[in-house]
Amino acid sequence: MAWYHRLRNVLTGDRIQRDIDRELSFHVAERADELEAGGMSGDEALRSARRQFGNFTRQMERTRDMDVAGWLDAVVRNFRQAARTLKKTPAFTITVVLTLALGIGANSAVFSAIYAVLLRALPFPDGDQLMQLHQSSRGSPETLVAPVRLEEWNRMNSTFQAITGYYSQDDSELSGELPEKLKRAFVAPRFLHVWWISPAVGRDFSPEEEHFGGPNAILISDRFWRRRFGADPSILGKRLRLGASAFAIVGVMPASFLFAGRDVDLWSPSPMDAPYAQSRAATWFTTIGRLKPGVTVAQGRANLATVQANLARQYPKTDAGLTVDIRPLKEATVGGVRRSLWIVFGSVSLLLLIACTNIAALLLSRAAQRQHEISVRLSLGASRASVAAQLLTEAFVLALAGALLGLIVAAGASAAFHALAANLPRIEEIGLDWRIVLYSLACAVAATLLCGLFPAIRGTRRNLSGFMAQASRTQVSARNPIHLLLVGVQVALAVTLLAGAGFLLRSFQALGRVEPGFDPSHVLTFQISSTWAEAGGQGSKQRTDRLLDSLRSIAGVEGAATSMAPPGVPTQYQTELNVTEGRAETDPKIIAESRYVSPGYFATMRIPLLAGEPCREELNSRSAVVNRSFANAYLAGSAAIGRHLQQPSRPNVPAGEIRGIVGDARESGIDHLPGPVVYWCSGASQPGTFFLARTRGEPMTLAETVRRKIREIEPRRSVFDVSALEDHISNAFAENRLRTFLLALFAITAVTLACVGLYGTLTYLVNVRRREVGLRLALGALRGQIVTHFLLQGLGVSFLGCCAGVGLAAVFAPLLSGMLYGVSPSDTTTLASVVVIVLAVAAIASLFPSVRAARLEPMQVLRDE
Amino acid sequence: MGAKKNDILQGTLALLVLKTLASHGQMHGYAITEHIQHVSARLLRVEEGSLYPALHRMEQAGWVRAEWGTTGKNREARFYSLTAKGRKQLLQEQESWARLTEGVERVIRYA
Repeated sequence: MAWYHRLRNVLTGDRIQRDIDRELSFHVAERADELEAGGMSGDEALRSARRQFGNFTRQMERTRDMDVAGWLDAVVRNFRQAARTLKKTPAFTITVVLTLALGIGANSAVFSAIYAVLLRALPFPDGDQLMQLHQSSRGSPETLVAPVRLEEWNRMNSTFQAITGYYSQDDSELSGELPEKLKRAFVAPRFLHVWWISPAVGRDFSPEEEHFGGPNAILISDRFWRRRFGADPSILGKRLRLGASAFAIVGVMPASFLFAGRDVDLWSPSPMDAPYAQSRAATWFTTIGRLKPGVTVAQGRANLATVQANLARQYPKTDAGLTVDIRPLKEATVGGVRRSLWIVFGSVSLLLLIACTNIAALLLSRAAQRQHEISVRLSLGASRASVAAQLLTEAFVLALAGALLGLIVAAGASAAFHALAANLPRIEEIGLDWRIVLYSLACAVAATLLCGLFPAIRGTRRNLSGFMAQASRTQVSARNPIHLLLVGVQVALAVTLLAGAGFLLRSFQALGRVEPGFDPSHVLTFQISSTWAEAGGQGSKQRTDRLLDSLRSIAGVEGAATSMAPPGVPTQYQTELNVTEGRAETDPKIIAESRYVSPGYFATMRIPLLAGEPCREELNSRSAVVNRSFANAYLAGSAAIGRHLQQPSRPNVPAGEIRGIVGDARESGIDHLPGPVVYWCSGASQPGTFFLARTRGEPMTLAETVRRKIREIEPRRSVFDVSALEDHISNAFAENRLRTFLLALFAITAVTLACVGLYGTLTYLVNVRRREVGLRLALGALRGQIVTHFLLQGLGVSFLGCCAGVGLAAVFAPLLSGMLYGVSPSDTTTLASVVVIVLAVAAIASLFPSVRAARLEPMQVLRDE
Repeated sequence: MGAKKNDILQGTLALLVLKTLASHGQMHGYAITEHIQHVSARLLRVEEGSLYPALHRMEQAGWVRAEWGTTGKNREARFYSLTAKGRKQLLQEQESWARLTEGVERVIRYA
């Protein structure tokens, strides 16, 4: 309690002081009264009373010391004085606080993303037990899991609490006035059980609902519940119409549950006992499992491998070549952005480091200007520690103000994250909370030490006798290598950042110059809702044909086609193929990207036909077109046209005849060199099919017309995801763009800071050396020599900084590999341009103080002394 | 500042103050000074100013409680009174004082 009182007394210092004064004065007055009563004159009595009391001020101080905690008192005094001192130089204070606010704010913002996306466990109970399960066969890519196999894994393993899976499609909900496109996830049994999540309202599916032919039940998302039903609490039992069937709503999922994708509105059971779910070759489910407590990932993986090996013995035909792997769900969710985020965090930390170095130089100059004050304080008996503490407190006040302002920046920046990187996984979990506040404060402490410790130690180092002996104005400065070192560090770090940004920018440019092999401009893309149940078969084909015909009939549309994925957007669907004739067993396996396109595809996308004929759809046979890479890689030296291709993984599907060869196009991402591709000519659409329409004018101007046209012939389906193909492609590189944009922004800020630092330091050095410069000018030095001298000093240190920066860039560049396109992370052109840019800016920054030095009037300077 | 004759021994001031307050209830600093000098027949002299740091220290330690009040002459003064903790402290200090004097006595007598 006493501690608390003393703390409070520190904070209410003035009142304490008054009270003690009152109490002690009372004593003196009483004594004086008594003495006066004893016969003294009033004045004499007072004097005598004072004498008897002792040293009044000293007793007051001693009394006060009893009331307050000494060290705390010193801290508060330091803070008060720091605030007073900083108030006297508002320009300096504001500059430093804003610099730190940006530095710490940006850092905290990126950290909030790192924390939410990478560090925190998934927002499920014991999220670390959740695993994603993958199957792949004989070196070909992963495929989705068949329902039968999923059930067998679940039954036969001993390391998982449960295994489940999901897939999704876009549905049209028809109970409203217009069809509404909703994303619906089909979930295997045990779905909620694996997540350990219960519906916020209502219940999980009942076993009957999970059986084929059981009652139709559906869970809805919180978002959909609010949007469509105004969060009506009596929602349970209401019905939704999806296709031909009505579904009873049995529950509402919590708002935080975003699995199978953040845009899922509905979850319904996928019956595992349905007759159409019995094929072991089906590829349906993205599979998730929850490990038993205490089971490691490796144990789970080994156990599943054993299970699958047993299945391979039981079903050699379908399961022999299959291998299973598991990886933590968190890794599967955020693994793709880990490196990007850390790189952004690294750059923003470098930026903060530059800012701190910059401020350290400022504080150092400031301490030098205050040398006189500091010497006086030291000579009056202040300990060096207390003076250093005072200087550190100033730095801390600056850093703290910076951190608090920085929190505002960070709050704004998380909004920017939401706007710029909407595809970032777990982005809805990013936000400011106490941890970020704590992190900002930690940044403030780190910044205090980085900026303040060095000036505090150095500023109080000079022994005062030496300093007091020589009046400051006659002092000719010693060289100040330390100031220049700080500038050099800033330049080096700025060059590192700029080099990183340069690589990313050049890679971005290179991507823009790529010839994709198809023409992405003037293409409108959209999807039309459909279900897996109606996929494939003649009905689907006829429907697609009808849609394409009506699209072509729109004025301004030059061609229309469908494709399973928009060209140019990174996708991969690699399959293994056999050529039924003319290849030896010993020839390398054929692995190619498979794409399903409608006959008009090549004309619509302007992919040139090199040989043969374009796609044609026939009733009883399958046809295919291959690209040049495929023909060259697998069928070189023989006529490709007329051969038949078979997918060993789908033995029931008839072989397709190669009808033509088309040019290579960068369809699986414009940053990928085109590999072998097989285009299966199949216009039948299924969920996820993209419609492509080549337009004469701006594609988006036709969006409404297209919608209306489709409404005419398909009133029960919704059109969605309408956008220009070029936007699709550029969105696919949004993360790349964001990364590049952020790094460029940081790099520009870094270079600016470094140059401001250089400018400030040179100005300071010129000021310190005024007298020397004046003398030299008086002794006949040419003004040009003075300019050259300072300019060379500035350029010299910048050049050394550049060299160090290039070295650092070489160390860090490997981090960027894999993110670069068309430029190597040791590209000399980029590095050279970075150095040239930095030196040019450094020259400008050095020029002003140098010229000012040369303009000194010698007589003026010497008179001032 | 050399120690003057009859200056109160370091550390005994607290004992004297506690004892005074124990027998007389609420008192202000001036009254405590007067009382100690009076009772000790002016053998002990408190350097008046040094009483206050001691009083405030005792207050922070929780031995005494202080509150502002008015004297008979209608002056504002700070009145001190003993707390339960102070009472316990007084017993301890009395005891250690007794031990100290006994020890000193013995040395004087037998050394």
